Amino acid sequence: MKCDKMLTVPNVQAIHGLRLQKVPYTKYVFANAEFIIPHPNDGHTFDLQDKNSFTMFNAIDAEKMEMAFQVIVDGNLDNSDADYTGKYAASTCYNSEKAFDLGGMMRNERDWVVVFNIPRIEAAIKAGKFIHLDGSKVPVVDGRKTDGKDSEFTRYIPVPKNPHGLNTSSDGKYFIANGKLSPTVSMIAIDRLDDLFADKFKDPREVIIAEPELGLGPLHTTFDGRGNAYTTLFIDSQVVKWNMEEAIRAYKGEKVNYIKQKLDVHYQPGHNHASLTETSEADGKWLVVLCKFSKDRFLPTGPLHPENDQLIDISGDEMKLVHDGPAFAEPHDCIMARRDQIKTKKIWDRNDPFFAETVAIAAKDGIKLETDNKVIRDGRKVRVYMTSMAPAYGLSEFTVKQGDEVTVTITNIDQIEDVTHGFVMTNHGASMEISPQQTSSITFTADKPGLHWYYCSWFCHALHMEMVGRMKVEPA
Amino acid sequence: MADSKTNPVRASRMQSVVLTFLLMSGGAAAAVQPITALPLQVDAEHRWHLPAGEYRGSFSVDQPMQIVCEPGAVFQAQGQGNGVIVSAPDVRIEGCTFLDWGHDLTAMNAAVFLQPKARGAVIKNNRMQGQGFGIWVDGTQDASLIDNRIQGDPTLRSQDRGNGIHLYAVHGARVIGNQVRDTRDGIYIDTSNGNLLQDNTLEDLRYGVHYMFANDNRLIGNTTRRTRTGYALMQSRQLTVIGNRSEQDQNYGILMNYITYSTLRDNFVTDVRDGSTGDSMISGAEGKALFIYNSLFNRIEHNHFEHSAVGIHLTAGSEDNRIADNAFVGNQRQVKYVATRLQEWSVDGRGNYWSDYLGWDRNNDGLGDIPYEPNDNVDRLLWLYPQVRLLMNSPGIELLRWVQRAFPVMKSPGVLDSHPLMKSSPQPLAKEPVA
Repeated sequence: MKCDKMLTVPNVQAIHGLRLQKVPYTKYVFANAEFIIPHPNDGHTFDLQDKNSFTMFNAIDAEKMEMAFQVIVDGNLDNSDADYTGKYAASTCYNSEKAFDLGGMMRNERDWVVVFNIPRIEAAIKAGKFIHLDGSKVPVVDGRKTDGKDSEFTRYIPVPKNPHGLNTSSDGKYFIANGKLSPTVSMIAIDRLDDLFADKFKDPREVIIAEPELGLGPLHTTFDGRGNAYTTLFIDSQVVKWNMEEAIRAYKGEKVNYIKQKLDVHYQPGHNHASLTETSEADGKWLVVLCKFSKDRFLPTGPLHPENDQLIDISGDEMKLVHDGPAFAEPHDCIMARRDQIKTKKIWDRNDPFFAETVAIAAKDGIKLETDNKVIRDGRKVRVYMTSMAPAYGLSEFTVKQGDEVTVTITNIDQIEDVTHGFVMTNHGASMEISPQQTSSITFTADKPGLHWYYCSWFCHALHMEMVGRMKVEPA
Repeated sequence: MADSKTNPVRASRMQSVVLTFLLMSGGAAAAVQPITALPLQVDAEHRWHLPAGEYRGSFSVDQPMQIVCEPGAVFQAQGQGNGVIVSAPDVRIEGCTFLDWGHDLTAMNAAVFLQPKARGAVIKNNRMQGQGFGIWVDGTQDASLIDNRIQGDPTLRSQDRGNGIHLYAVHGARVIGNQVRDTRDGIYIDTSNGNLLQDNTLEDLRYGVHYMFANDNRLIGNTTRRTRTGYALMQSRQLTVIGNRSEQDQNYGILMNYITYSTLRDNFVTDVRDGSTGDSMISGAEGKALFIYNSLFNRIEHNHFEHSAVGIHLTAGSEDNRIADNAFVGNQRQVKYVATRLQEWSVDGRGNYWSDYLGWDRNNDGLGDIPYEPNDNVDRLLWLYPQVRLLMNSPGIELLRWVQRAFPVMKSPGVLDSHPLMKSSPQPLAKEPVA
């Protein structure tokens, strides 16, 4: 898939947890910034314990792909998820100590889950009650505690030390913080959060409705829509299937076996996702577990091993491993939807903003990209426009002077799905892809006199080898 | 860890301890009182004796001193804060009873809380009964925790209890002869190198010894019983694990996850139970005497693994371990090996003892004449139908073995012991259960 837009989140480092708002619609993309840094980060201090050293929770306007707001927090931020009321988002923190090394980050018996009250943050911003940081125009509110007192925007719920994944159950009832260094996961009852923000509890842990012990190193949890949860156990190297309502009964003191099955996986499982589990329509059919290690499984390929993405059938009472899939390492998360829900374009739309800039330059040169094969000379700049249709470029040769800056713009006028071409200028570090109905361009300096072939680098046609042309570079 | 004078994390640690103190003093609980407020009596050897009596509240020791409790001297914290906080070097606390200290795990309430400055503290022969942590050692160097009896509160949920002994960022600790039961974990040790854990008895717990990122430690002669993993050893190098016992633990007797360059010797694991949380059997949670995961370059010698669902589960590329002279006795499945490469489990012509070995020793040298292959399909048959053993020289069994040898495709690659021992080596005697 192609990138539509990139955004730099200001005044933070390392975006880690990234989830979409689920209700009322994908209004925000929520993005945790992981690392604590001084503000302003200008070298005046490097002390993480300084009161102006912090990180922020970030909300991005999903339509415009622009920053909406930032929330300053205590500690750091790891993983994140949003609820199904549209009111809350929650993130795990593993460095409540604000320490700078592994040992320091593991001291506290409990770190926390921080819950964000989105309507209260929006109201404060609407009322103009926000600040700006370090030359950025993004509204920032302060979600830190002051003298032990909560801010109006956040609540901090202590959970066993160094939690990792934060997952909203597909029934909308729970935020689940995965213990990592604790063999437990903490289930936060979302319907108790209104009372938590109304300060009706003496201890914020009263929102924890269960804390089942699942095994060693729980990292991430996913759901089947039938009341069961599936958690990866990194140290046990297993996926554990457990029942949420039974875990709640066990927390209340009833003797009930909430664990249903443990399945060995191969090895070091991290993220897992069941089909449609990021929605309220989890269908309980498939589970994919992304394992970090595949040593001793696939054919050897040298020191860098593939990951092992394992597909598990969860439609019955028992989990059944059905497929091992080697995947190139990083990133190591995914999402699983039904194939009929993903509708991509077969060929490019000529009006796609992806190459609008190039279209505008061509218009200035008086070029009609879909038909013209022309060379425009503009001092030392040479713009070469051509079409491509399998198995030929619109120009079989062009001539430039040594030292010219050459921009080659190619429009693939094929309308047949999957007939992608490439363009390579030999020994000029120039290579690009041109898919059907796409316009692509590349710029290089013609610094070597002589004849240089260009060719299609994307096996396209029976006469792919013959899809070539020559650039003639006259000595300066 | 770096030198404490130059480590800002240490400084932050101090701040949070001070904060805990302020919270305590600001609440309903009485302020932390100096230990010198108590009727201590000095003896000729400059030891301070605390007479019998109940002393209520939290106390701080901020100067080097030896405190010896007379029988009947009890620190009663009334459910709030720590019993005693030690912030000075060379403090000794001996023979005391600590009851009912706080249960706020977020604040890390403990019967005895040793702060980083309490270098060389000796906490000996005390009795502790309460809900939070027993002894919390916070970056303290050279502490000795000896012969203490620590009892948690089994009426609390396991995850709401403190650990018996909690070692964080310590060095040179000597943890010897303690008895811990009904807390969360028995001994928790994290980011702590160069320590000795010896002859401790750890019962009815989550994990007996819970071990992370802690190198160059010695774990010797300890006993775990009825825990939900006897020894959870994780992410550590250069461990010496000798002469420990695991009895009736759940899940794992000894778990080795990412353990390297370590020695396991003379350990005895028996009757590991499956890890169910209720009455029914959970698939995939069978009890394993030894779980070796992503662990390499270790010596695993002269250990005894018996009466468990799995003797050894070896996985995630745990290769290049020296595994010899061990005894595998009466496990339903002696070896669960997940890999594609063959592993030889004998060293210098001596392998391990396998209770289900069916070979013979015609030259009487104590070594079986044919190799033992625990992943052998015949072994599975023998476990499923023990009466088949009577037929071991029958043409049927011989044919099965011949088929396996002639058509190796029937066998998964696995463990091979080319020199199985005919007898197991003698093992140390079991210790008496703690009354």
